[in-house]
Amino acid sequence: MAFLEWRKFHFFDLHPNVDDGKLSELFKENKITTTSSGNNHLVLSDSLGQIYLVSRSWHTSCFRAYEISVDFTQQMTSAPILVTIGQDEPGVNPLIKVWDTSRLDKNGSPYCYRITRALPGNRPVQVSALCVHDNLQLMAVGFIDGSLIIYRGDVTRDRSSKQKVLRTSNSFITGLAFKSTASNVFLFVATEALVVVYNVTQKDKEQKYHLDNIGCAKKCCVLAESMQESHFMIGRDDAVYCYTSDGRGPCYAVDGEKIALEWFRSYLIIISKSTRSTNLTAMPASNENSINQSVVNETNSITVLDIHNKFIVFSTTMPKIKAILNEWGALYILDEANRVYHLDENDLQSKLSLLFKKNLYDIAIRIAKSHQYDSDGLVNIFKQYGDHLCDKSDFSGAIEQYIKTIGKLEPSYVIRKFLDSQHIEKLTMYLQALHKRGQATEDHTTLLLNCYTKLNNSLGQSDNLKEFILSKDGDFSYDIDVAIKVCRQGSPAEALMLSKKHEKHDWYIKIQLEDHRRYAEVLDYIANLKFEEAEHYMRKFGTVLVENAPHESTRLLKKLCTDYKPAGAECGPLTGNFDVTVRADPEEFIHLFLSNSERLIEFLEHLMGEGSVLSRPVYNTLLEHYLHVWSNSENVSDKNKLSQKILKLMQNPDVDYDKSQALVVCHMNSFKDGICILVFNGRFGHQEPTLWVQALWSCVRNKTNPSMDLLNEILTVIAKEKLFSPQLVVDAIGTGNANVTLGHIRSYITNELQQERKKTKEIAELTANYRRDTDKLKELLGKLKEDVVEIRGSRCAACHHTLELPKIHFLCEHSFHQHCFQSFSDDENECPTCQPENKDLLELLKAREHNKDLHETFHSHLEKAPDGFSVVAEYLSRGVFNRYKIIADEALQKTLEMAPERNNNVKREPATELATYGAGAEARLRQSEVKSKPRAAPVSEGRMRTQEHRYSHSLEANMEYWKPKSVAKSAVKSNPFQGGGVSCTNPFGEEDYDEAKNPFNDGEDEDEDSDRNNPFREDLRPF
Amino acid sequence: MSYAYLFKYIIIGDTGVGKSCLLLQFTDKRFQPVHDLTIGVEFGARMITIDSKQIKLQIWDTAGQEAFRSITRSYYRGAAGALLVYDITRRETFNHLTTWLDDARQHSNSNMVIMLIGNKSDLESRREVKKEEGEAFAREHGLVFMETSAKTAANVEEAFINTAKEIYEKIQEGVFDINNEANGIKIGPQHSPTNPSLPGSGSSGGSQGSGCC
Ligand SMILES: Nc1nc2c(ncn2[C@@H]2O[C@H](COP(=O)(O)OP(=O)(O)OP(=O)(O)O)[C@@H](O)[C@H]2O)c(=O)[nH]1
Ligand SMILES: [Mg+2]
Repeated sequence: MAFLEWRKFHFFDLHPNVDDGKLSELFKENKITTTSSGNNHLVLSDSLGQIYLVSRSWHTSCFRAYEISVDFTQQMTSAPILVTIGQDEPGVNPLIKVWDTSRLDKNGSPYCYRITRALPGNRPVQVSALCVHDNLQLMAVGFIDGSLIIYRGDVTRDRSSKQKVLRTSNSFITGLAFKSTASNVFLFVATEALVVVYNVTQKDKEQKYHLDNIGCAKKCCVLAESMQESHFMIGRDDAVYCYTSDGRGPCYAVDGEKIALEWFRSYLIIISKSTRSTNLTAMPASNENSINQSVVNETNSITVLDIHNKFIVFSTTMPKIKAILNEWGALYILDEANRVYHLDENDLQSKLSLLFKKNLYDIAIRIAKSHQYDSDGLVNIFKQYGDHLCDKSDFSGAIEQYIKTIGKLEPSYVIRKFLDSQHIEKLTMYLQALHKRGQATEDHTTLLLNCYTKLNNSLGQSDNLKEFILSKDGDFSYDIDVAIKVCRQGSPAEALMLSKKHEKHDWYIKIQLEDHRRYAEVLDYIANLKFEEAEHYMRKFGTVLVENAPHESTRLLKKLCTDYKPAGAECGPLTGNFDVTVRADPEEFIHLFLSNSERLIEFLEHLMGEGSVLSRPVYNTLLEHYLHVWSNSENVSDKNKLSQKILKLMQNPDVDYDKSQALVVCHMNSFKDGICILVFNGRFGHQEPTLWVQALWSCVRNKTNPSMDLLNEILTVIAKEKLFSPQLVVDAIGTGNANVTLGHIRSYITNELQQERKKTKEIAELTANYRRDTDKLKELLGKLKEDVVEIRGSRCAACHHTLELPKIHFLCEHSFHQHCFQSFSDDENECPTCQPENKDLLELLKAREHNKDLHETFHSHLEKAPDGFSVVAEYLSRGVFNRYKIIADEALQKTLEMAPERNNNVKREPATELATYGAGAEARLRQSEVKSKPRAAPVSEGRMRTQEHRYSHSLEANMEYWKPKSVAKSAVKSNPFQGGGVSCTNPFGEEDYDEAKNPFNDGEDEDEDSDRNNPFREDLRPF
Repeated sequence: MSYAYLFKYIIIGDTGVGKSCLLLQFTDKRFQPVHDLTIGVEFGARMITIDSKQIKLQIWDTAGQEAFRSITRSYYRGAAGALLVYDITRRETFNHLTTWLDDARQHSNSNMVIMLIGNKSDLESRREVKKEEGEAFAREHGLVFMETSAKTAANVEEAFINTAKEIYEKIQEGVFDINNEANGIKIGPQHSPTNPSLPGSGSSGGSQGSGCC
């Protein structure tokens, strides 16, 4: 009945005859009365008073302990001490003897420490139980009348021992057991009728607690000590009852009349009378000879109960059992015929494989755990279990097992099994667990989120994903970026949640923008961010935002550039850093408005309204966009309003804008008023005379309201500055639409005409003078050439004395004494009197020559001069640009050609030193090279090479200065050697200049100084 | 560990109603979904605090199967409290309550506190016994009633602790003879009033506590 309820396994093997029959040989005549084991031997006692010590190799040594019989023995496990009770004399006269089995006397018998008579009171009573505490300080002897003697003190010493007699009951004491706890020592006593426990911690204060009213037979009690809570167990027919010192504990219903109980590791071994004859067949086959045993027909059953896991791990029937011996870590069973069996526990692996065979994985796990199986092994079991459950289609059970393998088993193993869509829920569970353990990779996150999405779609379980996303950071560990990416495809709402939660602003904004086109939300979101972030994201996504939500974006940008505070934190009381208002630089955002001038204007106007001082480019932009809007607007009143604004802006002295750029823009948009303002502000008057002309144009074209004052002013300036020939002015006014009458310009014209006339007169006079002078000089020259020159001078021009021979005459009609001349003059070819004058003249010429390369002066002259052309003309007349272009060309060409060849033989000659800069210098060198090739070529080349980079610099500079295209072209085309240094290629050929007029083309007389005239010099850094 | 009182409980009821699960939930705070039949009597202990007193509960979880009735009956007598459990999803377990109650009354001491428990309240969908029925039964027989779930742990703690409170009150009222251990109540070693005359008991017991468990 109840017996059958236990789960049964076969974890033990029974090996018969392990002693080769040695013991049965030994006990042929005599009967074994009591057994014990410990301290590396088995102790068997016989009815003749002899004790046998059996070694592991079944070697026995025997000694006589008592004259008549040995009734009880207890071998201490941890000491070589054997305590025995037996009879030396006939009658009831039990004697306790304590032996040292490690000390043998000359007869080979152990040393006997003490002999004590065991008498409860004065009556001789038969002993029924013996128990010695492991500490060797306590010993209890039970008697058949229920009396109990407790001996305190060293068990090996007679004298120090104190004994106390207690009476438990009137019933036969069947078992005794000491149990020590941290602070107490208990003595459990089982009698045939009841169970009691004594607290024997203190001498003479033994306390008795009644535990139960049922008792047990001899040998049918045991102290189970290896569990967390040790129990004193008694075996009764219906069950094994357990006790703690507090009372009853559990109870195991194991049927059968008990013969003996034994405790081994964590197993309870129950020997009971076998009631069922059918069980005989279950006997191990090796025991067949036991059936032949006709002596006793009775068989015993042996049951090994795993108390911890609550199942029977071994049970069999076998011939009557005499004793169970627990030594050497093994269990030996001695039957009535003195045969020894070894009850051998299988190792864990074979237990497990047995369980696996039966697919009892849960039990395998339990067993493995109770054996402290290593985690790798356990994981292996979990895996097998999972596999098994999978085969049985119990997928949720399988997942439960697989989850336990996380961390050891490769997740892909499991995932592959569950990839089928019908298992998606289980797969989700597994992946969740994976994340909880922090073992998930990116792929797992992706998969999990996809699972969620799928579950969402098919089952409407949208909570999972939300839960996952909203879980605390510690709960799941995963790569947020991956999660967002995955969610973005399947469940965008979650992706948003996720990115918001983890402050992945980038993602949030991107998803909102790209997937949902929710621009307003994005702007709200950004408005909630910290300044730096808000600025960053506005810069990053501003273009799209402005394009799609111009008004809202502009509002946000305005805030950013004035006084930004995160929207959420606005009302926060702890604005400790309110004085440190950070502002974004508006310039950063201007480009966002490229195609939305209105908003840009709004934006910038707001900023100006806020009193921000903007940078020059910002103002420029504003102006530009104003004009853009202005020119695009159709509505006249709008246009007017706008133009007012523009003009206001341009006239605002605080507004620092680039006037020239403004001018260009005004031009582009034909915003005449603006041009006028720029001109009138006088800032351009002298710099940009053409402005006046333009002002004139705009003035006369303005049909609606020609301002006469304006016109007059313009005309005055034009007149004063000689900007425009009067004829053209009249032309302009004539072609203009404005209602300008002759009267309006009358004064101008008269003025002009008078001036013109005056000038003409002056020039005419001058011309006449020059002509006269020229005529005189011609005459003189003619005379000198053709006429005879009379040298009439009678006095020496030096000493003013009358001339005497020898004398020297000059054509200038000065005569000298030879000695005077010699002492006066430095040069015998020159007249010393005329020499200072000549010298002055020459110097003047030289100075002029010199002046022409003072470029700063040239430029400033040019700038200052009311008539630039005359300045240029004058400079040209000095030969400023003599052959310049040819030279430059050559230089460039040279540079280009030289660049590729790398030659390191750099040689310098001091002579060339002075001319080592500028393209002109180079040209000069080329010239000399052509003239005297053998000498100059290597020198110049070497120098050139060293300065290659410098020339390329100059090239760049030149290209900037001049029209780069043509320079480059000409440079490539022209050959430096062509025409002996005189290039005929004119880079400006296609320009406005006429070839004939080209000032660069007509300088034939190259001299050493020509390089100094190089107008590029200021672009070349001298070294 | 030292305790002021030790109360012994017994859990009874038909097999499979969840007695072992209730105990496991109370002592180990876990749930075992596989039905491991109790064969005999299982045992558990836990400390609780009532009225700032440490009370040790020792609980016998008996087998519900008829075959073990003779064994389990012997456990009634030493118990101060009993949890009489039925399964709200199986009416027959409710129907058997009277048998159990009779058995308990017959074999236990008369003062035993009995708590009626309708277990598996988590399985609402499979409920066969209404809560009101349980309440009515309890009222009729003078029991305390509670529905629990050993699976979700709902009310499990309360069931054990309320029973202990009831016993504790009875002790305060002097209903229990605390010196008779057969009542299932034991006074902790240091609180023992039984032998105050013993010279060593005060000094020895005070720090030592119970030797067991
Ligand atoms: N859903 C649910 N199942 C429960 C609950 N309590 C127990 N069970 C299940 O019910 C079955 C029986 O539980 P046990 O505690 O072993 O039953 P028992 O009362 O101890 O049975 P016996 O030991 O034979 O007397 C087990 O499979 C448990 O999983 C509960 O509160 N809710
Ligand atoms: Mg149970």
